Amino acid sequence: MTTTLKVEQLNYRRNLKKILTNVSLTLSGNKIVGLLGENGAGKTTLMRLIAGVAKNASGTISINDETDPATRKSLISYSNPLGGMASNKRISEIKAFYQQVYPDFDEQKYDQMISFLKLDETQRLSALSKGTREKFVISLTLARQTSVYLLDEPFSGIDSMSRKKIINSIIQWKPVDSLMIISDHYVSEIAPILDEIVVIKDNTVAVHKAADVIREESGQSIEDYYESLYGEADSND
Amino acid sequence: MEFDDKVPIYYQIKTVIYDQIIAGQLAPGDKLPAVRQLAVSLTVNVNTVQRALREMIDEGVIISQRGKGNFVTDNADIVEQLKEKLINRYLKQFYDRLHRLKISNQQIIDEVTAYIERQGDLNDNNAES
Repeated sequence: MTTTLKVEQLNYRRNLKKILTNVSLTLSGNKIVGLLGENGAGKTTLMRLIAGVAKNASGTISINDETDPATRKSLISYSNPLGGMASNKRISEIKAFYQQVYPDFDEQKYDQMISFLKLDETQRLSALSKGTREKFVISLTLARQTSVYLLDEPFSGIDSMSRKKIINSIIQWKPVDSLMIISDHYVSEIAPILDEIVVIKDNTVAVHKAADVIREESGQSIEDYYESLYGEADSND
Repeated sequence: MEFDDKVPIYYQIKTVIYDQIIAGQLAPGDKLPAVRQLAVSLTVNVNTVQRALREMIDEGVIISQRGKGNFVTDNADIVEQLKEKLINRYLKQFYDRLHRLKISNQQIIDEVTAYIERQGDLNDNNAES
């Protein structure tokens, strides 16, 4: 069965500030979808709401028709930056913890990934470089067998070699009939692996299109197309 | 593999594979790598590889055998047609550009002949060194 994620009329405020307004989105099939938008656009909030980590939004979110947040959580593997882990923990200890908490953790797949990514299981979290830490996060996230994978900015601030390795791991180990959402504010590095893009702008979904349709219709690269949505007038860099 | 992000990726995958067939790197009857393997080696999405394969199957250049995989056709006529089509496409681009610059047909022929001769020299030199 192919996965369907449905978000309907989602509204979310924090401290009286609108974060997301009237977000409706249907993602179906076995795709890799890029969730794009400027810093602070609400990408992470949307991911947290989908994952059931953030609460108190109005509207509905369902995965394969399941709306209950606890059920949804079990269908989603959400990349966790490991902020809650003590920094003196070893990779092997954190992996053991994941294995215990998540019954869908596939150890064989995990082992393949860490050997491909050349992770040393005896290393402590505090000793990992940013790129290595992200490789570890990706291994943990993809080792779970779920319907939906949410990767929150897996490429921010890491070197190009690590990035390539991570992209390769995604292609190799994403289960065929799962849906993957990757958020990023640089699109060029992941454009070739995206089926579709969703752009969050002005608190809502501004665009939802297939990547090859954009290339075909506009003759533009995904990055140029994405930038053209902003224009020069309201650039606030 | 570097793709031009302005051109649909499935189309570029087709071009890569068709080029390999015409250049003989993929021979008639050869088996293509598995879809995921192709996706990894080209650094593209599995779905995009599948779309490219579907089109190549529709065009008769790739034959899909259920349970066995995808193979390059062993029909030499189809490969020959593919080659003709590609040659014509590249010639058209090349000719149209020069034609737009108001270069006469004769001059185009002369320039091409001279260019090929120079290239031949270059290749010979490279072969010797």
